[in-house]
Amino acid sequence: MRRYTPYLLLTPALLFTVFVLVYPMAQNLVNSFRDVSLVREGGGWTGLLNYEHVFGDAVFWLAFRNTVVYAVVGTLLALLIGLGLALVLDMNTGKMSSVAATLYSIPWVISPVVAGFAWKWLLNDHFGILNYWLSSAGIARNGTSWLGNPHTALVCVMVARAWQFYPFAMVMFLAGLQSIPAEQYEAASVDGATQFRKFFHITIPNLRPVSSVLLLLGVIWSFNDFNMVFVMTRGGPINASMVLPVLVREFSFVHFDLGKGSALSVLIFALLVTLSFLYLRVLARREQA
Amino acid sequence: MKRIIAGVALVALLGGIFGLSCGRKEDAVELQDWNFGGKPRMIEWLRHRIDAFGQTHRGIRVAQSQKSWNMIRELLYADFSVGTGPDVVNVHANYAAEFGGAGYFYPINAFPDFQEVRTWYVPHLLESTRYGENYYGLPSSGIAFVLVCNKELFDREGIIPPRTWSEFREAARRLTKDTDGDGIVDQYGLVLLGGDKGGFAYRLIPFFLKAGADVMSSDLKTVLFNSPQGASALQLIADMYQVDHSITPGFLAYQLTEINDIFCSNKVAMSIEGPWFRGMVDDKSPGKKIYTVPVPVPDDRIAAYDTASTLQDMVMYSINARTKHPEQAWELVKYLRNEEADMAWIREDLGAIATTRSALGSSEARNQSDLSLYVHELAHAKPWPPHPGMIAIASDIFTPYTQKAIVGELSPREALDQAAREAQEMIEGKR
Amino acid sequence: MKRALLLLPVAVLALLVLLPFLWTVSTSLKPLTEVNRYPPEWISPSMSLKPYGDMFFYLPFSRYTLNSLIVASSATMLTLVVGSLAAFAFARFRFRGRKQILLVLLLSQMLPGASVIIPLFQLLKTAGLYDTHIGLILVHTAVLLPFVIWLLHGFFSGIPTEVEDAALIDGCSRLEALRRVILPLALPGLGATALFAFLGSWNEFFFALILTNSDATQTIPVGIGLFVGEFEDVWNQMSAAAVLFSIPPLILFMAMRRTFVRGLAAGALQ
Repeated sequence: MRRYTPYLLLTPALLFTVFVLVYPMAQNLVNSFRDVSLVREGGGWTGLLNYEHVFGDAVFWLAFRNTVVYAVVGTLLALLIGLGLALVLDMNTGKMSSVAATLYSIPWVISPVVAGFAWKWLLNDHFGILNYWLSSAGIARNGTSWLGNPHTALVCVMVARAWQFYPFAMVMFLAGLQSIPAEQYEAASVDGATQFRKFFHITIPNLRPVSSVLLLLGVIWSFNDFNMVFVMTRGGPINASMVLPVLVREFSFVHFDLGKGSALSVLIFALLVTLSFLYLRVLARREQA
Repeated sequence: MKRIIAGVALVALLGGIFGLSCGRKEDAVELQDWNFGGKPRMIEWLRHRIDAFGQTHRGIRVAQSQKSWNMIRELLYADFSVGTGPDVVNVHANYAAEFGGAGYFYPINAFPDFQEVRTWYVPHLLESTRYGENYYGLPSSGIAFVLVCNKELFDREGIIPPRTWSEFREAARRLTKDTDGDGIVDQYGLVLLGGDKGGFAYRLIPFFLKAGADVMSSDLKTVLFNSPQGASALQLIADMYQVDHSITPGFLAYQLTEINDIFCSNKVAMSIEGPWFRGMVDDKSPGKKIYTVPVPVPDDRIAAYDTASTLQDMVMYSINARTKHPEQAWELVKYLRNEEADMAWIREDLGAIATTRSALGSSEARNQSDLSLYVHELAHAKPWPPHPGMIAIASDIFTPYTQKAIVGELSPREALDQAAREAQEMIEGKR
Repeated sequence: MKRALLLLPVAVLALLVLLPFLWTVSTSLKPLTEVNRYPPEWISPSMSLKPYGDMFFYLPFSRYTLNSLIVASSATMLTLVVGSLAAFAFARFRFRGRKQILLVLLLSQMLPGASVIIPLFQLLKTAGLYDTHIGLILVHTAVLLPFVIWLLHGFFSGIPTEVEDAALIDGCSRLEALRRVILPLALPGLGATALFAFLGSWNEFFFALILTNSDATQTIPVGIGLFVGEFEDVWNQMSAAAVLFSIPPLILFMAMRRTFVRGLAAGALQ
C-alpha cells in the first residue's frame, strides 16, 4: 500500500490533467483531420485539408507575425519595467516599500478584462486622457485613433499587456535581488568598483536564472493570451491586431469551422512545445557550464 | 485557523448548492427571452410589457436577458448548436434564410391562428420573414437605411442635404474643417460604422443598391456586387477617405455608440443610419435636430432618385425550434408584436417603424417624424438576398475587403473581385 | 532626509503606473454628460456614486457577482484539495515517473486556452455541463492546478522532514502526519495559494466567455468584456463595474501579499 500512496495522491490531479491536456489535444488532432462544423452534424475525414486552409489563409500569417511580436516585445518591455521597479523597491525598506510594492502590483491583480477596458478607455480618440496630454504636448492631436488605426493597434495592445504583466516580473526580480549575497557587493566595494560596475557585473549576472524563467513564462503566457486583445480590439481593425488565440475563436465560433480551428490549435501547441523544449535545453546547457 | 478554513469551505459548499438549486424547475412554465439591442426607453417598455404579459397569462414566467447586438450570430449559434438557447429572440429578418433553413427557428405558420395573425401586418414586410414554405417570425420594426445629416452643421455651412454623389462628396468636403483655428481638422463630413462587421456592410451596400448594383442574382447562384456600378460606389467612398480626407480617420473601430457621441458633439456631419438614430441623438442631446433624406444616387441616375433602392432590413421575433413550450412562446411573441404593442412603438417613439397596418394607418402615425420618408423608401427597398450564407458573406468577406479598399490597401476593383470570388466559392460550397 | 528624497520618486512612479486604473476610477464617478467631454478632467463638477447604482440596469450584475463568487470559491476549494495531495506526493515521496509526471504537469500549464477550447466545448456539451456552474468550476480547477501544485510543492518542500518524522515516530500514519503536522505549518502557504487560485478563477474570462451563455451562469468579466453599449456609451457604468470587480482581488492581495511573494520566489528559485 505504501508504495502506491504517491500514485493514489496524484490520481485526482492527473485526472484533471488528462481532462484538460491529454484528451483535448487528442481530440484536436482528430478534429483537425475531419470536416467538423459547429452547426452541421457529421464530419468526414478530409486529410490535411484543414491545415491547407490554415496555411493558405493570409490572416493566419498575419496573426502569427503579430503574436510573435506581441509575445516577445511585450514580455521584454514587461521585464524592463519590472526590473526597474524592483530596483526601486530594493532601495527602500520598511513600510514604504511594502505599500509601494502593493501599489505597483495592482495592474496584475486586477482582471485582464478590467486592464483591457481601462486601456481602451484611456486610448479613446475623443475623450481619452492620453490624447489630451499628447495634444497638449503637441505630439499628436485630439481625435487620433489608436485602436482604430491598423498601424498602431498592435503596439497599443502590446503596451497594455506589458503593463498588465510587469508586476509578476517585478516580484520575481525583487526576490532575486534580495537573494544576492551581500558579500559579493562588499567584495566589489573593497576592490573599488563603482555602482555602475557593480550593477553590470554582479546584479545582472545574478539575475540571469530569474530572467530566463521570466522570459520563458512571459513569452508562453503572452503567446496564449486571448483576453487583452479580445477586449481591446477583437483582433481588428481589419485583423491588424489579430493574434493566434483570438483567431482560433474566430475560426471556430464565428466562422463555425471547427476543423480549421482545431488545426490551428494543434499548430499553436506544437509551436509552443518546440519553443519550450528548445529553451529548456539552452537553460540546461548554461547550468552545466 | 482551522475554523476559518472550515467556515470558508462551508460557505463555498453552500454557494455551490445554492447555485445548483437555482436551476431547478418550478411549476410555472418558464420562457427565456433574449433581447438584442434597443435603447433604454425601448428596454424599459419591453420589461413593462413582459410584466404585463406575466399578469395576463398566469402560469407563464418570462426571464428576459439583454444582450449586445454585434455578437448576436455567434451567441445564438453557440447555444443552438448545443440544443439550448432562448425560447424567444429578436433577430434580423434575413436570419430566416440561415437559421430557418438550418432548422433552428420554429415555423410560425404551423400555429392554428397564424392565418388570422398575419393579417395584422403589412404584407410585404411579413414576406421578409419567409424562407421557402415557412414563415419564421413576426415583423418587429421596418428599417430602411437613409442618410442622416447634422442640421446644425449643415445650416452653419449654408448647404442643403445632397441628392447626387457629386453633391454628397462636395458636402462632405465642405463640412470637413478646422473649427477652432488651431490648424487641426476636428470636424468631418462622413462617418462609417467600421467596428461592427455586420453593421458596416448594412451601411455600405445602400450606395451599391442606389447605383443599381445587385448583391446576388435572383436565383441566388451568382454573386453580383463586383459589377461596374458596385465598383463605382466603393470608389466614391474610397476617394472620400483617401483623397478628400472627409471621412473620420478612426472609423474602423467605431461602434454605434461612438458614432452617436461624435455626431452629438458636432465632430461629424453625416452618417448612414435608420429609424433609431433620431431618438438616439435626441436622448443624448435633447433638442438636437437632424435632416433625414434618401441615400444619394449617382449623378447619372438623378432621374431615378425617387425609385432607386436602398437596403431594407427588418427585425423579427422568432421562436426557437427546440423550445419546450411552443404554444406559450407563440403567445409571448404575439403579445410583444400585436397591434397594441405596435401602436406603442409609434406613440412612445421607441426608435422603429411600425409594421402593423392599423398602426401605420393611424392618425398618430402621421405625426411621427420621418415616417413618410421611411415608408416611401421601404416601398422599393431591397433586402439582403435570402441565401443562408448571406450573413457570413456580408460580415466575413464583403466587410474586410471593402474596408481594405477604402483605406487604400487594395483598389476597389481588386477588392470587389476577390471578395466576389470568395463569396462565390462559399455559395458553391467549396469553402 | 534620505527617506523623504526616496519617497517622491516612489510616489510619482506609483501614480504613473496606476494611471489607467485611476482614470477608470475617475470615470466611474462621473455622469455621462461629463464623461464625454473635452478637455477631459480628473475631477468633474458633478461626481457621485450614481453610476454604481445605475450599472445594474442593462446587465444583471448582482447575478453575475453571485456566479463569480460561486465559481471562484468552489474552484479554489477543489484546486487546493486536489493540489495539496499532488504537491505532497511530489514533496515527500521519491517514486518512479516522478520527473515525467512533473514534466507533464509543467507542459499542461503552458497550454493555450485556445488550444483546448474546442474539445472542451464539445466535452461539456456531451456531458450536459455546458452553461452550468459545475462545468466552469471543473475547467477552472483543471487550468489552475499546475501552477497551484508548483506553488504548494515549493511550500511543502520548505517544511523540514524532521517535524514529520517526529510525528511518525509518535505513531501517526503518513496521511495523519499530513493533516496534523504539515498542514498547520503550511497554512500560510496554503492561504497564499488559495489567494492565487481565487484570483485566477475570479479574473478568468476566456473559458467563462465560451463555456457559458446565459445570465444564470455568466460571471462578471463576461459582463464587462462583452458589453458594448448599444445606444448609450455607458463608460461610467462600465468603469464602476470594473472598479467594483477589482475590489475583492485587491483586498485579498493586500492581506496575503507577503506570503504569496515568498511562495513565488520559493517556486522560482527551485
